Amino acid sequence: MKEKLLEIRNLCASADGHEILRGIDLEVGRGEVHAIMGPNGAGKSTLSAVLAGKPDYTVTDGSVGFGGKNLLEMTPEERSWAGLFLSFQYPVEIPGVSITNFMKAALSARRKAWGKPEMTPPEFLKLMKEKMAFVGMKPEFAKRDVNAGFSGGEKKRNEIFQMAMLSPVLSILDETDSGLDVDALRVVAEGVNSMRTPETSFVVITHYNRLLEYIVPDYVHILKEGRIVRTGGVELVAEIEKNGYAAL
Amino acid sequence: MKMKGIYLLGTDKLPSTVRIGEGEKVRTTLVALPGVAADVNLEVVLDGEGAELDIAGLYVCSGSDRLNLNVNVRHDRGGGISRQLFRGIAGGGSAVEFNGLVYVAPDAQKTKASQESRALLLSRGARVQAKPQLEIYADDVECSHGATVGFPDEEELFYMRSRGIPEEEARRLQMVSFLAPVLERLPQEFADRITEEL
Amino acid sequence: MDSTLKELTAKEYGEGFVTEVEEDFVPKGLDEDIIRLISARKGEPEWLLDFRLKAFRRWRGMKQPSWGHLTLPAIDYQDIVYWAAPKRDADRPKEIDPALMETFDKLGIPLRERKALAGVVAVDAVFDSVSVATTFRETLSEKGIIFCPFSEAVRDYPDLVKKYLASVVPVGDNYFAALNSAVFSDGTFCYIPRGVKCPMELSSYFRINASGTGQFERTLIVAEEGSSLSYMEGCTAPMRDEHQLHAAVVEIVVEKDADVRYSTVQNWYPGDAEGRGGILNLVTKRGLCRGEGSHLSWTQVETGSAVTWKYPSTVLQGNGSSSEFYSVALTNNFQQADTGTKMVHIGRGTRSRIVSKGISAGRSQNSYRGLVRINPGAEGARNYSQCDSLLIGSRCGAHTFPVIQNMGVASATVEHEATTSKISDDQLFYCLQRGIPPEEAVGLIVNGYAREVLQRLPMEFAVEARKLLQVSLEGAIG
Repeated sequence: MKEKLLEIRNLCASADGHEILRGIDLEVGRGEVHAIMGPNGAGKSTLSAVLAGKPDYTVTDGSVGFGGKNLLEMTPEERSWAGLFLSFQYPVEIPGVSITNFMKAALSARRKAWGKPEMTPPEFLKLMKEKMAFVGMKPEFAKRDVNAGFSGGEKKRNEIFQMAMLSPVLSILDETDSGLDVDALRVVAEGVNSMRTPETSFVVITHYNRLLEYIVPDYVHILKEGRIVRTGGVELVAEIEKNGYAAL
Repeated sequence: MKMKGIYLLGTDKLPSTVRIGEGEKVRTTLVALPGVAADVNLEVVLDGEGAELDIAGLYVCSGSDRLNLNVNVRHDRGGGISRQLFRGIAGGGSAVEFNGLVYVAPDAQKTKASQESRALLLSRGARVQAKPQLEIYADDVECSHGATVGFPDEEELFYMRSRGIPEEEARRLQMVSFLAPVLERLPQEFADRITEEL
Repeated sequence: MDSTLKELTAKEYGEGFVTEVEEDFVPKGLDEDIIRLISARKGEPEWLLDFRLKAFRRWRGMKQPSWGHLTLPAIDYQDIVYWAAPKRDADRPKEIDPALMETFDKLGIPLRERKALAGVVAVDAVFDSVSVATTFRETLSEKGIIFCPFSEAVRDYPDLVKKYLASVVPVGDNYFAALNSAVFSDGTFCYIPRGVKCPMELSSYFRINASGTGQFERTLIVAEEGSSLSYMEGCTAPMRDEHQLHAAVVEIVVEKDADVRYSTVQNWYPGDAEGRGGILNLVTKRGLCRGEGSHLSWTQVETGSAVTWKYPSTVLQGNGSSSEFYSVALTNNFQQADTGTKMVHIGRGTRSRIVSKGISAGRSQNSYRGLVRINPGAEGARNYSQCDSLLIGSRCGAHTFPVIQNMGVASATVEHEATTSKISDDQLFYCLQRGIPPEEAVGLIVNGYAREVLQRLPMEFAVEARKLLQVSLEGAIG
């Protein structure tokens, strides 16, 4: 196995007093793509939210190492600066804030945190243009308010655009395929595939196997009742398709 | 029963304060018909989780009618829902004043309150004043109000006339349609009586 | 979200310094002798002294209004110095005191006539009770535009001042307007002649410096037929534990087809995090759209003052005249704001639009109060109002008190809508996940919420206003 980027040990977490994650163990190496599949309510979205530091959840046990650091001690924005990106299942609308301003704020905050000088406006605009073309967004999109009035497909495309802009080392895609038509799905997949490098890793969370036809994972994990119950290669996907989750 | 289903303003006596407790629901409709001269002061306090108020009102005022409608909805505890819907028509030399307050107490979180009041003003002699007010001391709430004072849409009128509906009947239909959201809450017979007199 | 956001320490109010400069004062207190003394200091003509004395007698018979959704601290009107001015240096009577120059430099207000990149702005700088510099007067006078301190207008253009003074805000209009009429000191006078488009932004900057004083400026703007003007005002004051009173009057007359845009960024000292000190901002602003087709637009960003009581209003008299009121009012800590507008429709086919965005944080109280009145004869008048409130934290209040009156105009429509919301945890977390720190995220969301108003500001002001919204929210989330 390659060098470990993410090391999750016995992660337990609860929300409103209900235990949702009951001891997750997962290692993601650099350059790897992991798929996490599971039935509704298995804790898939909770896992992604806990990794990103969503305050609604309480970690009750376990540890998470990220690039050698203790992820659980970091604030959500510090996790972002360290290279963790979450593509939201339900991207949030921020009326009155344009995508341009939103990305400017995100990029300048991380560069400040990294002790790097701010990008010049031409550098920034060039990057915006490049990445928008990369995900096939029209230039007008830059002026639109973040996710406000976007269709489902536009929202997901915007997530992938932001992922490209922020060049994370670990991207968690939470049900990015839900509600997408085939064209939008292909855009998402192409975006991810072209960002795959020996240094960047992906955790793709999905209920169906649809997305995994386009993004071929190195490992597949089955999450059920807050635990990983099976781990294997792509062949697991076919097995799920045939027998469903109940058989596992 | 905290409140009756229907109150005829100027005739039926309204309670001055109504308290709606945990899980209780109150649904009532206030009606003011031509000839009315009334000062209405109603305070409704939502005082528990799941308390619900659904109040509506309609008025049709003409001549020298005078209606002073004060509805004060207080969310003293969180988790309550209140909906207010008022529609009215002021013609002749009538004077209508609608004062509606939605108050949300500190810590009355998860309150949902909406208030809508719309009035049509039909004549030069009529006076309409609307004071829809929000007084909010809690942040996790959904509150809104909307108020309009306007006149019947001429375009709509023309449309109906072009379909052969005589002007007078078209105007009556417009009023019926304007009042419809509140009329729907009344027994058919009563609603018919109101629309026939328009 | 409370648990994850670390306590953000309140940033110091950046403009809270005091300028060490020797000043002249009239004695503390208010009576007819004080008014005579102020008038004499300013070398005013008899008619203006009469105006002041009549106003004073009127004021004495009036009561301080109490209808606002405010707890106004008791004001001892005998414990205020009504006139204070930096002493003139005998050696250099014509030059500006370097200490004042430095003060305005520090505040970012250029008193030298140099071209800024963003365009040219003429400034009238008022320090306590006097105007200390007015730039670009010559350039403007070539077009026939008068832009000068109010006291000079009294001396040089008495007929214009007599004609328009108190023509929009009568002396007895309200308690604070009456007080201002009795004791007003300097302010700005603008006169745009017929058909002239003012070639640059005009602005006034008001600075309170001396302690124990109040500021009572008076601004009068007259836009003749077919003229146009964009006017901006800003203000700041030192940090003190005492309250200081600011009771200004602004009057605007807009003639046929003239267009006036009036923008304010109000940044008076708001008091400290415990609610000590801060300016009591009790202001009367009103415009008269007198001519047919005239237009007046108000844009205000209110972030300062311990108490704000202010309703920039328009009387739409000319047929087809129109007006807008765009407002962002942000209150934090113990600030209180009761602000809004009045739109009085008199002329046929008059139009008005109100967009108000209130933001309450800390333990503050923020109210929108408005009146839309359709007078008999205002056939076809239209108004649309949208009043939104944003609450940050559970200890503040947001209130909406609109009044709609239709006095029998069956062809007029008035629409009012209001909503109340909060910054959602989801929005905040989404920003955090993208690496935007909490205080910046809140600033970003609030700026987005207020965008419709901010984009109405002249460019020079918009940037400052955005920063101010962010800074004013420091400490609001914890």
